[in-house]
Amino acid sequence: MVVAGVDVGSTQTKAVVIDHDRRILGRALRDTGARLTESATAAFREALEDAGIGEGEVAYVVGTGYGRFRVEFGDAQVTEISCHARGAVYLFPGTRSVLDIGGQDTKAIRVNETGQVLDFCMNDKCSAGTGRFLGAASQALEIPLGELGPLALQARSPVVMTTTCTVFAESEILGWLARGRKVEDVLMGVHVAIASRSLSLLRRVGIEPEITFTGGVARNVAMVKLLQELTGVPINVSEESHYCGAIGAALFALDRALVGTAEGRARA
Amino acid sequence: MGGDDLTRVVEECRTLVEDPGYPAVRRWLDAHPGGKVLGHFQVYFPEELAHAAGMLPVKIMGAGSAVQIRHADARIAAFVCSIVRSSLELALSGRLDFLSLVVIPPICDAARNSCGVWARNFPDLPCQTLYLPQNAASSAALPYLRGEYRRLAGIIEDVAGTRITEGRLRASIELFNENRRLLRELYRLRRETPWLISAVEVYTLTRAAGVMPREEHTALLRRVLELLPERPAKRQDKVRVVFEGGFCEQPPLDMLALLQDICYIVDDDLLIGLRWILDDVGTEGDLLEQLAAAYLDHSSYSPVQRDPRKPKGEMLLRRIREARADAAIIAAAKMCEPGLEEQVNYIRVLEGAGIPYLVLEFEEKMTVFEQMRMEVETFAESLLFDFA
Amino acid sequence: MGAETSTWAGATRSENRRLMERWWQEMSTAEATGRPVAYVFVMGSLAELLRVFDCVINFPEITSLQTAMRGQSRDYLQAAEDAGYSPDICGYVKADVGLQLRKGAHPYGTVPRPQLVVATNMCNTYIKWSEIWEHMYGCPVFVLDLPAWRGTGAAGSDRDTFLGDLRYVEAQLRELIALCEQVTGRAFDVDRLREVMAEVNRMAAGYHAALALNRHRPAPFNAIREGVIYQGISNLYRGTPEGTRFFEVVGHELQERVRQGQGAVPEEKFRLLLAGTACYAYFRRFAELFEEWGGVFVHSTYMVFAGGGFPPGFGYDLARPLESLAAQLLTSAWWGFSSPMFYPQDWLAAVVQDWAVDGVCFHGVKSCRTTSTGLPDVREWLRTHRDIPGLFIQSDLVDPRLWSEAQIKNRIDAFFEALATRKDAVGR
Repeated sequence: MVVAGVDVGSTQTKAVVIDHDRRILGRALRDTGARLTESATAAFREALEDAGIGEGEVAYVVGTGYGRFRVEFGDAQVTEISCHARGAVYLFPGTRSVLDIGGQDTKAIRVNETGQVLDFCMNDKCSAGTGRFLGAASQALEIPLGELGPLALQARSPVVMTTTCTVFAESEILGWLARGRKVEDVLMGVHVAIASRSLSLLRRVGIEPEITFTGGVARNVAMVKLLQELTGVPINVSEESHYCGAIGAALFALDRALVGTAEGRARA
Repeated sequence: MGGDDLTRVVEECRTLVEDPGYPAVRRWLDAHPGGKVLGHFQVYFPEELAHAAGMLPVKIMGAGSAVQIRHADARIAAFVCSIVRSSLELALSGRLDFLSLVVIPPICDAARNSCGVWARNFPDLPCQTLYLPQNAASSAALPYLRGEYRRLAGIIEDVAGTRITEGRLRASIELFNENRRLLRELYRLRRETPWLISAVEVYTLTRAAGVMPREEHTALLRRVLELLPERPAKRQDKVRVVFEGGFCEQPPLDMLALLQDICYIVDDDLLIGLRWILDDVGTEGDLLEQLAAAYLDHSSYSPVQRDPRKPKGEMLLRRIREARADAAIIAAAKMCEPGLEEQVNYIRVLEGAGIPYLVLEFEEKMTVFEQMRMEVETFAESLLFDFA
Repeated sequence: MGAETSTWAGATRSENRRLMERWWQEMSTAEATGRPVAYVFVMGSLAELLRVFDCVINFPEITSLQTAMRGQSRDYLQAAEDAGYSPDICGYVKADVGLQLRKGAHPYGTVPRPQLVVATNMCNTYIKWSEIWEHMYGCPVFVLDLPAWRGTGAAGSDRDTFLGDLRYVEAQLRELIALCEQVTGRAFDVDRLREVMAEVNRMAAGYHAALALNRHRPAPFNAIREGVIYQGISNLYRGTPEGTRFFEVVGHELQERVRQGQGAVPEEKFRLLLAGTACYAYFRRFAELFEEWGGVFVHSTYMVFAGGGFPPGFGYDLARPLESLAAQLLTSAWWGFSSPMFYPQDWLAAVVQDWAVDGVCFHGVKSCRTTSTGLPDVREWLRTHRDIPGLFIQSDLVDPRLWSEAQIKNRIDAFFEALATRKDAVGR
């Protein structure tokens, strides 16, 4: 039996195909753009191609993410929080806390060994603890996003950012530079600000090792190192982090597909 | 047909509730030339006193997103809840010009200040603070409150130009007793058969009480309760939830609609002030004392009342138990100090009892619910989680 | 003898330091000495009663503000927020929760756990705060209900209402006394109460005498800088000989400054009133932003509601101690703790007139709705009804993250520029 999960995020759409032994057979990643349904369909088809599977062989599809209701060929929708939680435990079975710093929002989730959500917290005030803050820094410094992490790691004496608002971030960054502070020190200050705010969220739900870090910002080496230092706990990061939601969705799809089968009854 | 009748009644209530022009109040004034209106703020107010003097008591509960704030922000500091602002805006924009007296109980620090702000801006409108006891367990609280009701009654008599006789007060108490009985019945019905009536419907039916003559509201409730059991409705398999946090600033209707999509709200503290008294107020002997005793000893609970005989955590657990709820939604209005602080207590108690809960913050004027929808759905998903 | 040698300069500060150290010593050793510990608040501390039972009295509002004065409040606030307390609630509460989570470890010493909490309804947050300790420690919480300012239009300040309120307060005081006896194991001693109340009478007179010296020009003290010191001791040492003595010292020092023509600022150019509280997170800077313009705060509502709440004509009648305590608590509730916040415009206008004040600074504190909610409205009222210039700025009591110097300085500078123009126009 083969099932699929499709995660329609605000910037990227991801699709994953798994078999009934929970092995990943194929995956696909593309920009979401303005046409959500088309993007979801295209990602799904690309994942199938990657797996060498025909569309008719897929028993169940679960849609997740911001555009989950636009996965019109899907059989069910599950929120990205639930999916991320399951996906994180799939990638790292020792996961008990998940920190997902995305481009738009940040989520902290505490989970059990089966990936069930025990508690969660999202930032609801503003984007200061999200990837958007890094985006503002990237713009202000005219440095590509992907280079921010490695550059920040070169900091010797990071500045302490006082602004708590992305809107003022640019002027504060420029202010520090005007005062002669080095770019890497200012950058690390920005990273520290994001890490502190995210950790605050994580503490609200309770930090329990192992911590798995997902979302776009998980590719930032400086952020990973910083989180490790600040929590004193090793942080799990996977190459497949951005598929976390889609993997979780696929696992939910598998459960639904098995319900009513002998295997499903045995597992329950 | 019954069904259409029911829909019509609910729609009428919804119109009353959403219209910042207070149409039912204006209709009453047209029908009673020279009639006087008493405005009372959240949470509880002994409306019988106003009614007994021939006044129409109207609850001021903010304006949600119906009114744009143009004047109030310049008068109220930032970091204050929306209901205080929008209520002031209603007044400053002339929508409450029918008020002859306004009473604001000191439920919280923003409300206490409100009284001063109203007083300065409306020098011709008497603005009173009704000091409901915060030492409710004191043996002297009852005589004190009786005296405070006597003081308030005197002010009402002056404004209304009518004496509150014992006969009139008894009749008013009986009217409000019946209204409260019917509200309790409505809530009971929803608890037992939540598929028959939605959260939004129960809410609009309740809220209408505060903005229309009680006699009319009672008739309306009776009609609804007659029609409800016949309503064809399908029972759904949804999580049973208690909503706690609607005691003052009110969540927008769209938020309640969102919640009812995902779960059954089987009990709540929405507009608890209108349902504060839990059984009939006695109609024998000293009536002011009966009203005071009802407030102190036969009442519900809220984060703005301190009463060690009713520890709020235990009261919440009892509400959850009696409603046979599976979980609780612990909400608080933004910037609501008592609500936000009580949340921490409620969480502590719920964790201790192993009851699942979701924490939400809302604002009466919010219109975008994407994030909240996701949080509530995730919460419901985690409750229904039964896969390996 | 040669030139006049100043004998009192610095005496207030050194006496304040000594008394603060002593209080912290009392607190840090409370558990060891076995003295009962009571947590109270500045608006209605009931020190009069608690001293009868030899309680160590903790003022969490003061311990919280001290974390900010020491530049450490951020950690305490963060600890409370991590434990689930909203960023938007009272900073004093959060700083204290952070402190309790650290088992009382404070920059100045150790805060002991409470055996008793006494709150009044003068601030609703007091009650929620007390419930936090109730949940943490299971200690008895007594809320003294003080019906206060009732509003306008048949305001209810008539005799009947007052008598009803008085009966309620007296009965509650008796209940509080019974509770204190139970908690401390000591019997109530009405003579000791008289002693303490007599001392409060003396201290209050000293406090008012000191405040009044600011009518002089130049004003010898700044209601922000020195004012908070006076407020601190007024609360912490209320009803003690040390408290009374402190205000004698203050009086001497201030009178000397008056004689020498020494003002709180080197060159007094503007006399100001503060409506609201100080900012403890950036305390020095807050004062400096005004001093840089030669601005001195001659008085504040803060010195009234947070300095003891003494109403006009305050004085206990020792012949009827309990009744007098109840009566003065009621008038303090009305005139000392409520009106200065909710209905202060007449008092402000009168002080502006009598003390030759140039303008009023309304300082809103983001996490305190009690002191801040109506300030913009009062400012507007004074402007339109009395033509009194007002400035409205916002920061916080203890949260350094809510201080935005550029914004605040901008407004302050603009205010002074306008005041200067006004003065020139009026030819002062």
